[in-house]
Parts: sequence; C-alpha cells; structure tokens
Amino acid sequence: MPEGKRTTRVPLVERVLEANDEVAAANRADLERRGIFSVDLIGAPGSGKTALLEATLRALRGRRHPAVLVGDLATRRDGDRLARWCDKVVQISTGQGCHLEANQVRDALAEIELDMVDLLFIENVGNLICPVGFDLGQAAKVGLFSLTEGDDKAAKHPYLVEAADLILLNKIDLLPYLSFDRRTFEADVHLLNPRVPILDVSATTGEGLDAWIAWLER
Amino acid sequence: MLGVHEFSIAEALAAQVQRHAPATGRVREVEITVGALRGLEPDSLRMCWEAVTHGTPIAGSVLHVDLRPWSITCSTCGRTWSSPVPFVACTCGDPAPVPTAGDELDLVALTIDEEDS
Repeated sequence: MPEGKRTTRVPLVERVLEANDEVAAANRADLERRGIFSVDLIGAPGSGKTALLEATLRALRGRRHPAVLVGDLATRRDGDRLARWCDKVVQISTGQGCHLEANQVRDALAEIELDMVDLLFIENVGNLICPVGFDLGQAAKVGLFSLTEGDDKAAKHPYLVEAADLILLNKIDLLPYLSFDRRTFEADVHLLNPRVPILDVSATTGEGLDAWIAWLER
Repeated sequence: MLGVHEFSIAEALAAQVQRHAPATGRVREVEITVGALRGLEPDSLRMCWEAVTHGTPIAGSVLHVDLRPWSITCSTCGRTWSSPVPFVACTCGDPAPVPTAGDELDLVALTIDEEDS
C-alpha cells in the first residue's frame, strides 16, 4: 500500500430503503391521525386493479368518502376511469419507475383535501415484485391475483404473498373456463402466509365484492 | 440484462453509500445483506451497481451481496435446512414443508481507502 493511504472497513447497520421508510412513516402517522384507512393495492398488469377499484368505488358511493392515488408508467387512462366514480383521484405518472415510492404518495396526498376523506386506495404500478419492498405508509397491503395469470402465480411471488394483509383472487367468474386449480393456489398462499385471508372476487360480475367491502370496513 | 427490480434498489444504495463516502479517498467495497424474500439476484444487483455508479465518485467500488437463503422446516419429520428456493419437497416424502425467509436489505459495511491529510 502506498505511503499516506490507509484502508478501513467501516461497519454500518442501515436499511437500504431507510430514506423511503422515513417518509412512509410520516404518511402513516398523518393517515392514522385523520382516521383514514389506507390500502396499497398490488397486482400484475391486467390483473384487474383498476376494474376492481371501479366496482368498489361504485359500491361505496354515498356511503363512504374515498380518495384514490393511481400510479401508472405513462398514461392517465386509469385515473380517468376512476374519476368517473370518485371526485378525489390523483394520477401519479412514474415514468420509468416500476413502483410507487413514499415521497410520490406524500406529494399526491398534498393535492387532496384529506379532511373530507375516510378511505384511501393506492393503486400501485402493475408489478408483483418491486412495489412490495417500498413502504408507502399504507395501513394494509392487498395482493391482487387473477385466474388468467395461472394458479402458480402466488408461489412465484412469495414476497407479495408474505407481505399481504389480504389476497384477492379476481376474475373468479372465469373458473369454469380455465385450468386454474383453486386448491393449489390456496395451499401455496397459506404455506407462505398461513393467516392471510383469500377472497374470491369478480370485478366484472360483482361476485365477492360484499366480502371485500366488509373486509375494508371491518 | 439489467433487472428493473434490482435497478431501483441499486440506485437507493448508491445514494446511501455516497453520503458515507469520504471527501478524500474512495470507497473500495460495499457489503450488503439481503433476505431471500426480497427476490433479488446478486448477479443482477452487481450489474446494476456498475451501471448506477458509473461516472460517480464511487465508480469502481465492488458490491458484495450476502444472500440469506430460505429456511425450510418439515412439519412431518422435523428436519430444517436452507434452500435457494421456497417450494421444495422433503426427503421424508412430505411434499410441502414450510418455507420462511427474511426481507432484510441492509448496508452492513464499507471498505474505504483514505488519504492521510
């Protein structure tokens, strides 16, 4: 080693996403203080996240005061769809980002008059991996799977299954037409997360929506 | 190919390491531990690390990834072992032993070449 130079190993104990987690904690404190129950909805592209929220918002009309933050890579289409059912929708365009981060949620929340809100839905970017690791400050994470993705989708995404407070299985109306083994799906989910409830829903037919709404309002 | 998932983690880590980098001297090695639950590929993380640190003061630093594997416990025979994947059968014939893994993602050490001033 050259003179005047020394090599030091500096031990640290720091979470890599500490900066995100601190903003998420601030979001959580704000939402809890206001009594707003918040859900981070995570699912694959095409699993029916927006369709489920459309059906949910329609069912909640006149009863609750929801707000929606919706993350999308490039378009405003999801936000426009949801705005038909809810007057507090903020579209977050993530550009290259494959997931939402806590500071994006913080900025979006600043655009909403939260005094008028009692329920917050955050529709994450369609992705089953990246969004799971980024805390947004939500009260609950909901993992949305759908029958058309195949019955092994949960087994292939253990992080989401383990982190979820609820698993929704959408497009259940298609069960007679697909080779989806409902028991395999459930066994895989419960091997990873023995206590997580699984609710079968269809955003299209409305099947199972009552149970999902009861879970939201429990 | 750069994994998108690993890319955002590498970016967050690079910002974090740069905050620790000394004004004189350079960061030679970066050590992290990752729980298997995170689903991160060490090779992909290292490729992303090269990409995101390129042209920054910490370019050329080496990323060491200590990947903590799944722990598999068989409820039939009681055997426990570690595995890179969660769904594996037990040698006793139980088709579905219980997989558990951590979701830690921690920066644990930096090795720094410092210039004596």
